[in-house]
Amino acid sequence: MTAQFPTPVTDETQRLLSPDELAAALRDIGARRYHNLHPFHRLLHDGKLNKDQVRAWALNRYYYQAMIPIKDAAVLARMEDAGLRRIWRQRIVDHDGDAPGDGGIERWLKLAEGVGFARDYVESTQGILSATRFSVDAYVHFVKERSLLEAIASSLTEMFSPTIISERVAGMLKNYSFITKETLAYFDKRLTQAPRDADFALDYVQKHATTPELQRRAMAALTFKCNVLWTQLDALYFAYVAPGMIPPDAWTPGTGLVPETAATQAAGTGTLGPHDVPRLPRGVRLRHDAVRDQHVLLAPERTFDLDANAVAVLEYVDGARTVRDIAGLLAEKFTADRAVIEADILVMLNDLATKRVLER
Amino acid sequence: MNAITPNAPALPAPVGLLAELTHRCPLRCPYCSNPLELDRRSGELDTATWQRVLTEAAALGVLHVHLSGGEPTARNDIVEITQTCAKLGLYSNLITSGVGGALAKLDALYDVGLDHVQLSVQGVDAANAEKIGGLKNAQPQKFAFAERVTQLGLPLTLNSVIHRGNIHEVEGFIDLAVKLGAKRLEVAHTQYYGWAYVNRAALMPNKAEVDRSIRIVEEARERLKGQLVIDLVVPDYYAKYPKACAGGWGRKLMNVTPAGKVLPCHAAETIKQLEFWYVTDHSLGDIWANSPAFTAYRGTDWMQEPCRSCDRREKDWGGCRCQALALAGDAAATDPACSLSPLHAKVRDLATEEAAETPPDYTYRTIGSNVQPNVRSPLNEEAPL
Repeated sequence: MTAQFPTPVTDETQRLLSPDELAAALRDIGARRYHNLHPFHRLLHDGKLNKDQVRAWALNRYYYQAMIPIKDAAVLARMEDAGLRRIWRQRIVDHDGDAPGDGGIERWLKLAEGVGFARDYVESTQGILSATRFSVDAYVHFVKERSLLEAIASSLTEMFSPTIISERVAGMLKNYSFITKETLAYFDKRLTQAPRDADFALDYVQKHATTPELQRRAMAALTFKCNVLWTQLDALYFAYVAPGMIPPDAWTPGTGLVPETAATQAAGTGTLGPHDVPRLPRGVRLRHDAVRDQHVLLAPERTFDLDANAVAVLEYVDGARTVRDIAGLLAEKFTADRAVIEADILVMLNDLATKRVLER
Repeated sequence: MNAITPNAPALPAPVGLLAELTHRCPLRCPYCSNPLELDRRSGELDTATWQRVLTEAAALGVLHVHLSGGEPTARNDIVEITQTCAKLGLYSNLITSGVGGALAKLDALYDVGLDHVQLSVQGVDAANAEKIGGLKNAQPQKFAFAERVTQLGLPLTLNSVIHRGNIHEVEGFIDLAVKLGAKRLEVAHTQYYGWAYVNRAALMPNKAEVDRSIRIVEEARERLKGQLVIDLVVPDYYAKYPKACAGGWGRKLMNVTPAGKVLPCHAAETIKQLEFWYVTDHSLGDIWANSPAFTAYRGTDWMQEPCRSCDRREKDWGGCRCQALALAGDAAATDPACSLSPLHAKVRDLATEEAAETPPDYTYRTIGSNVQPNVRSPLNEEAPL
């Protein structure tokens, strides 16, 4: 079986690039085509997706994660040099772990569970979009059928991933109250693993792409890989954002989840995101206590002593401003980073909401 | 605050005022914390005096005013008194049975700025609840009252006093709180003073029932996180350490009785040797700083062993003075509810024995009765105190 992947037309006039020029050309591909630029990712990182849209992403992306060791085993199988194999096999270990409960796939399952999925449902991959399956399978076929150089070059998207991971972790923690640091443990590891992998692969490509034709093929392989990632997000956007056409058999919101407990349902009152409008309900009052010269929050049969920061936040809680508005005002007032402030005040406001003295 | 020497730590200002506006109440709960000798209507403070007391309280540093009783809405001036709280910036908490005239006054209370309502529920099953409260048809009145509270958007706390007559209903209280739209639920095991002391044998649950109720609350807290806050007061006869009564004697709370007597806690009058001052004779600040009742057990100087050298002495503040008197015969003793008290084992045995016996009938609270506690004491198991 020979899959036909488009290969760029040979440019006879193309000269051989220096190793540095080749690295720059490869980076340029990422700068234009890497999926951090996709509108779906912008929505994800900026907190614009709802919980079900984040779920759809986590569910589909699982298939990609689960197939990565199979892809790497296929690459490994083509390596005739034991030294190369020793290096490459680390990728399989990273993903599969050394024991049950360990490794990148397991951490991705934790993420999926963290957003509410039942583990079995995720592992079955029955709810993923066909486009996800086609894209990921194409990647596996690609590394089996193209040259080893192209297979290795296709992994070079890892050069770009630390940026997207930092953006993603910060953005998701800040913007989604249902996402915790533990849920995102997958990315912690990748922050160190990906650069190590990318350094090796780039070095390999620089050394082995010794003609203009081979360099062109390496660049084409990376472009192909960017497209593998991009098309997955196109499909997610089409099915779950706009126009919202979910294909038959694909996951629909409300299915595949662990039955919600009363506690998570109640999070409707207890959990605020950046776009929620917090307010102090009747029976909760911010007051200056002249006798003790401090601000207090008076609540049913309780008094909260407030520090200056808490007072600054609560003075902006007026039942009209969103959390983000408030963070913006505070950022101006204290000339500080809005995103950092927003993350901090979400923790504080959610704590008060759990105590039933703040609502939205 | 001239009683404080310059080198002594500054006297903290009180944060709470329990205003027992009246002892009159349509209910007759056998665990009522009011004293056995109830004040009569003719002896109650007038509106202007309460307003002055509230003004002094605000200036002194009080933040929360608990409008209590008896049934506080039995006072004709409850709306005026609440309005005074609002004008002074005091947080007003209406502690009510929700029966009688309570519902009729609720909208007016809302309009003048009432902050919070704590509604008592005696039981979940109506027949049981009405037996405990001693008033027929109370339950539907309470539910109608609760409904109006949440309709108005006032925060609602349900208060359930737990004892052997309703400890089987703890799950039901939790469900009821959710159903009625309460944000808080108090699962408060009976504390044995006042009428509860008289009725102790009828009220004391056994240890297994108490443990079960605690487990239920802990599970529900997790399940209802963000929806319902549940405060749990455990019965201290079965506890390891005593509760810091009223947050420590003369440290946080002042209690003004219907007749204007100022107490460090609502049961303090059981300590006969204490001298209480009246708001009609002294300002609230003077009473807080200097009245003999407040200075008697404030701080740690009065303590005996094992409290005196205990490293929990500024956490528990020796426990409850009234309970020490009732159970140990000495108001300055370590609260026998504390596991470090030499009497603790006896107290626990006593509770266990009483809980194992067939409960006697309730002695309902009434004004003008001459009820004397007729319960066994760990000091002398045969003689009534």
